[in-house]
Amino acid sequence: MDWLSTHAVAFAIVLPLLMAAVVAMLPNVKRLAWLVALLVAVFVAVAASVVLQTQAGLGEIIYEMGGWEPPYGISLRIDALNAPILLLIAAMAVATLIYAEPAVASEVEGRRSGPFYAAFLLCVAGLMGMVVTGDAFNVFVFLEVSSISTYTLVAMGANRDRRALSAAFNYLILGSIGATFFVIGVGFLYAETGTLNMEDMRSILANLDGGSRVAQVAFGFIVVGLGLKLAMFPLHTWLPGAYAYSPTLVTAFLASTATKAALYLLYRFCFTVFDPSFDYVAAVLTYIVTGLAVTGMIFCSLQALFQTDARRTLAFSSVAQVGYMLLGIGILTVAGLAGGYLHLINHAVVKGGLFLALGAMWYRFGITRISDMAGLSKTMPITTAAFTVLAFSLIGVPFTAGFVSKVALAEAAAAKGWWWAVGVIMVTSILALFYMGRMMMVAYFRDPPTVDGVAWKRNEAPALMLIPIVGLAILSILIGMRGNVFLTDIAENAAWVMLPGSGL
Amino acid sequence: MIANIIGAVPTSPLISTLLLDIGLLTLLVMVAFAIVRMRSLFAIVMLQGVYSLVAAAWFVTLDAVDVAFTEAAVGAGVSTVLMLAAMLLADRESTPVPMSRQWGPLAVVLIAGMAMLYAVPDLPSYGDANSPANSYVGTDYLARTAVEIDVPNVVTAVLASYRGYDTFGEVVVIFAAGLGVLLLLGLDGNAGRFRAQVMGRKLSDTSAPTGSTDKTASTSQRRKSSGGGGGKSSLGAPPSITRYEGGAS
Amino acid sequence: MNHDPHVLLRVIAKFLIPLIALFAFYVQFHGDFGPGGGFQAGVILAASIILYSLIFGLENAKQAFPPILIRIGMSLGVLLYGGTGVVAWMQGGEFLNYSVLAHDAIHGQHWGILAVELGVFCTVTSVMIAIFYAFGSRQPQTSEEDW
Repeated sequence: MDWLSTHAVAFAIVLPLLMAAVVAMLPNVKRLAWLVALLVAVFVAVAASVVLQTQAGLGEIIYEMGGWEPPYGISLRIDALNAPILLLIAAMAVATLIYAEPAVASEVEGRRSGPFYAAFLLCVAGLMGMVVTGDAFNVFVFLEVSSISTYTLVAMGANRDRRALSAAFNYLILGSIGATFFVIGVGFLYAETGTLNMEDMRSILANLDGGSRVAQVAFGFIVVGLGLKLAMFPLHTWLPGAYAYSPTLVTAFLASTATKAALYLLYRFCFTVFDPSFDYVAAVLTYIVTGLAVTGMIFCSLQALFQTDARRTLAFSSVAQVGYMLLGIGILTVAGLAGGYLHLINHAVVKGGLFLALGAMWYRFGITRISDMAGLSKTMPITTAAFTVLAFSLIGVPFTAGFVSKVALAEAAAAKGWWWAVGVIMVTSILALFYMGRMMMVAYFRDPPTVDGVAWKRNEAPALMLIPIVGLAILSILIGMRGNVFLTDIAENAAWVMLPGSGL
Repeated sequence: MIANIIGAVPTSPLISTLLLDIGLLTLLVMVAFAIVRMRSLFAIVMLQGVYSLVAAAWFVTLDAVDVAFTEAAVGAGVSTVLMLAAMLLADRESTPVPMSRQWGPLAVVLIAGMAMLYAVPDLPSYGDANSPANSYVGTDYLARTAVEIDVPNVVTAVLASYRGYDTFGEVVVIFAAGLGVLLLLGLDGNAGRFRAQVMGRKLSDTSAPTGSTDKTASTSQRRKSSGGGGGKSSLGAPPSITRYEGGAS
Repeated sequence: MNHDPHVLLRVIAKFLIPLIALFAFYVQFHGDFGPGGGFQAGVILAASIILYSLIFGLENAKQAFPPILIRIGMSLGVLLYGGTGVVAWMQGGEFLNYSVLAHDAIHGQHWGILAVELGVFCTVTSVMIAIFYAFGSRQPQTSEEDW
């Protein structure tokens, strides 16, 4: 136990990496790869919660990889900002892997399921590696680990729909451009500071009072690079295709974690490497990021309204929701950041659950279009009920997770005097009501289709799929009812890390 | 090696490498433009090899021999062959892209280039020993390696030990690439024929383009007859009997 | 074989391939002293097998270096690298802290670097060959005119 509390951070990253190599070699025995992957995810989740607890006690954990002290070696650094996201990723990995057994059996060729789970574990480990590291170049390395495996996983959707291949290629090109921009930015930062350790960079940049043009350009490249990864509004074009055509469990995992990890990095770089007290950082955040956030919220909500494919609707909704979190950054107050952070966690839970539910609908009935969802309340009642709860949460109905974070964001915007932002949050919530409502209407008020004169019978998703879907739906209600007890504290602690002596 | 040559010309040590650098960089730019302008994929692949080789030569003049070696082995060597192998699966000529679709990328490239040029005045001058990159962690590595690791090649010490975790990540990246190839192509070139199966009742054929028609027909038969769990069991069963058998589970 | 147009190519390749492979191992084990290391060595060894495959055909290459070996090699490299770190864990150090691997820190570092470079070598060689096999297996034999 003592060993675990010191080494849990490294354990959470290294275990899935090593086990990915093992899973890739496993013989093609039914369910073996799945079982191993699930066990790994559970262990990782345990380690992540140990990290969260230790962090809550100590405030900050620094783990020196290789035993070299920070500016020379790579250190993992955990504080109130990244510990919850680490646990979030691990928990979502467990949820999707429970769901995975039936889904992979239907969507992936049996003898490729080993490498498939291996790639999935690499993706999990890559995202977590990005989140825990305290070294700017190490971020890039793990960004690549997660990206390369993600491109493969998205392309595996070709077993369902050949368009997955072009979606994956699109994502590959844009993702690589994003990663290149990011690494160019890190290169400029290195030229300016001579170090790759983020904490070191922070103190050097603070001493330089924001640094020269080199630091400004570095900031620009890093924001654009991360913007591509987190699907900031005009850079989101890879996302709808990737979400719509990848295997169902991959979509659920990506939607709930990949953009979130990139958003965390934006937090990390904007607030704890650079500082909003530098003119150029404040200007970019207040004008450009906020502007793009709001445009994205409205524009992508409208686009979601006009989709025929259910997963594309949710994908555009994801871009809009990223806008909420970016708006939280743009507000530049502790309350705003806490609201955005809360929305990040809530949206991960909600969108993950929604995509899992849609995946179950595909698993049973091959449903991809909204018009095909007719009568699902009768044919898949439990899945549809969970889907409804999660949809309400996405809209922001009271007593659901979405309500808590949207109210927190709106309050923060109002406190800043940004009434127009409150208006935008309300308008986009109404738009969400419409695009989610469309699906609900079809599912509840249309009769199930008939085949040869016989209506579809009830055919609920298997238990392994239902467990995570229902679990996430219940979690979203729990957050909605009791959210102010535990999650708000977490979000506020994270926000205080971002804006420590907040004079802003 | 280069250091010795420079040492032999004490009058203007920087000018000679500077000329070499400018020459090599000009070559790089020319090759890059040629790659952009070319249509024949074979020529493009070859020119990419040339690009890497010139880049490797340039890294040598920068005294970054390890990087140069890697660039030569990977860029000019293996990746050229791999690109050729990939090219053989595709067309031999690239289809011309209409000008209307090129303005966007051009704008991106110009803006990114201008941003870099904006930073140039504040960058430390070339070879400046007091620049942050040269004076802080970098110099310390030189001093510490001899004491703590005792390997003559400092680059190896940094890569494998000081920043060994990064290198571990890089190995995993390569492993991930290998997994991707395994999953998407298969080592025997046999991947990609599998079709996902709905484990219930498929509602309608999606508008998605699928593979050859006979294959779709056979899988849809399989779909119809596979209820509840298995999916594999009913390959031999006549498809007309079991139209729909999935009950509540 | 009488009308083999590539006899010169074959003879020279037969001469070169072992030399290239030997050079790969030189680069591998000389990485501590000069430029090189596992990554470059892996690429060079892969290049020698790819050359073999180009000259003597993919099927022969697959007999010399079977695909199953590649799948194992890919994973083995990662396990070797990570395993070094795990051993360091067990000796009470941080992950990848080679100093605890041997009786004194410097020897530990040497052992550690040797082990992880072998891991890099293993994975890089396997993956490079895997990519070539994957592309090569998907195309029909290229005819002379096709070039």
